[in-house]
Amino acid sequence: MKLSEVFYPQDVEEILGLIRKNPDILLMAGGTGIVGSQPSRTIQLPEQVASIAKVQELRKTIRTEQFLEMGACTTFTGILSLAPASLPDPLGAVIKSIGNRALRNIATIGGNLCSRSRFLDLWPFLSCMDAQVEFRSPSGTRWASVGHLCGEDNRPLIPPGSLLSRLRIPHYNYDFVYYRKLGNSLYPTADSAMFVCMANIVRDKVEDFRLVFSGEKAFRLKDKEMSVSGRKTNTPKREIRGLVAEYKKSFEEMELFDSRPFAALLEDVFGRLFL
Amino acid sequence: MIIDVTVNGVQRHLKSRSGDRLVDMLRKELRLSSLNADCLQGRCGKCLVFMDGRIVHSCLIPAFKARGGTILTFEEIAKNPEVNDIEKAFHATHTQPCPFCHTAKTMVIFDLLSRVPLPSEEDIVEALDMVSCPCGDPIGLIQTVKLAAELRNKRKFNREA
Repeated sequence: MKLSEVFYPQDVEEILGLIRKNPDILLMAGGTGIVGSQPSRTIQLPEQVASIAKVQELRKTIRTEQFLEMGACTTFTGILSLAPASLPDPLGAVIKSIGNRALRNIATIGGNLCSRSRFLDLWPFLSCMDAQVEFRSPSGTRWASVGHLCGEDNRPLIPPGSLLSRLRIPHYNYDFVYYRKLGNSLYPTADSAMFVCMANIVRDKVEDFRLVFSGEKAFRLKDKEMSVSGRKTNTPKREIRGLVAEYKKSFEEMELFDSRPFAALLEDVFGRLFL
Repeated sequence: MIIDVTVNGVQRHLKSRSGDRLVDMLRKELRLSSLNADCLQGRCGKCLVFMDGRIVHSCLIPAFKARGGTILTFEEIAKNPEVNDIEKAFHATHTQPCPFCHTAKTMVIFDLLSRVPLPSEEDIVEALDMVSCPCGDPIGLIQTVKLAAELRNKRKFNREA
């Protein structure tokens, strides 16, 4: 059995020092995704692993008027223990639907976003909510939109040799929130996916329309979102059918997923938004 | 490597390899028979322990992550009078779990009642979701937990739930 070298950094500076020496070091917070996806008795790990769950800087939560900021190693239980008013809708309900309590006691928000094999449950929500993430590396610090954690191949893109240290989630509740989880509820399978749509209704008009469908790959078309935003909720059905058909066509052309569940959910969303 | 960890109130220095799961280290090094790891995915609940005060699936945690932590297993929890309340409730409602999940269901009910003295049905269903064993009647188990809460509150605060 190949043994790994395990490090226990005490603060972010120590983590960055470890990354400087070995950019491929595995930073493990909760580790539920890495460990739970391995059916073998012995966990396969890379040559070097750093256990970062207990680094205090990565567990802080701050609430300001504009956003909720939390360290990447905040556990799901830690998030749910915040006052409900601190949590933008529907984050609390989505987190509660992930796994069971024992799993939420160790799984972290950073770990959920750093999955390299697929987009996990929170990515589509945080992407729609325009959440920002802070990456720290030996060369500096930068903030990025959660939506940018998606590569040109529509797969997760986590900057190598960097630490996801913090998240900022704007305090903003949408009037219309729609989401459906497809597939296995505890551990995702190839056909698991999350469909999320958010929008505001201002004076009978649909505004800030966002729609994300993600699983092993992600689908989001900002030009299509803009073509939906600004339309009146009583837009003629014929026009809406045209919009739905365009969305479906773009989805099918990208050949990311089986298009049938997407088409059904899309029709449901538009049926609810446009009366 | 050696992992320094407090298990059931005793400071231990346990041998482990980097790829070992916590459940395996506890079973191998301390022969804790209440623990099993059947699913290795956090579904069955047979590996539940309290780590740093929170209930967790020890099959999902690499052993090295327990360093400096505090672990409580069923062997220690069973000494608590609250487990008696749970046992009495199992008997009274005829919902005694099967031998495979008895410790797991006791652990999740113990965890629930220590957090929520008067749990709602939603709280109970959420807690029992940590154990996937299909034995027993789910509605009967909800009654069990409510009765255990009543017995606990009566014993602790000398009042009805």
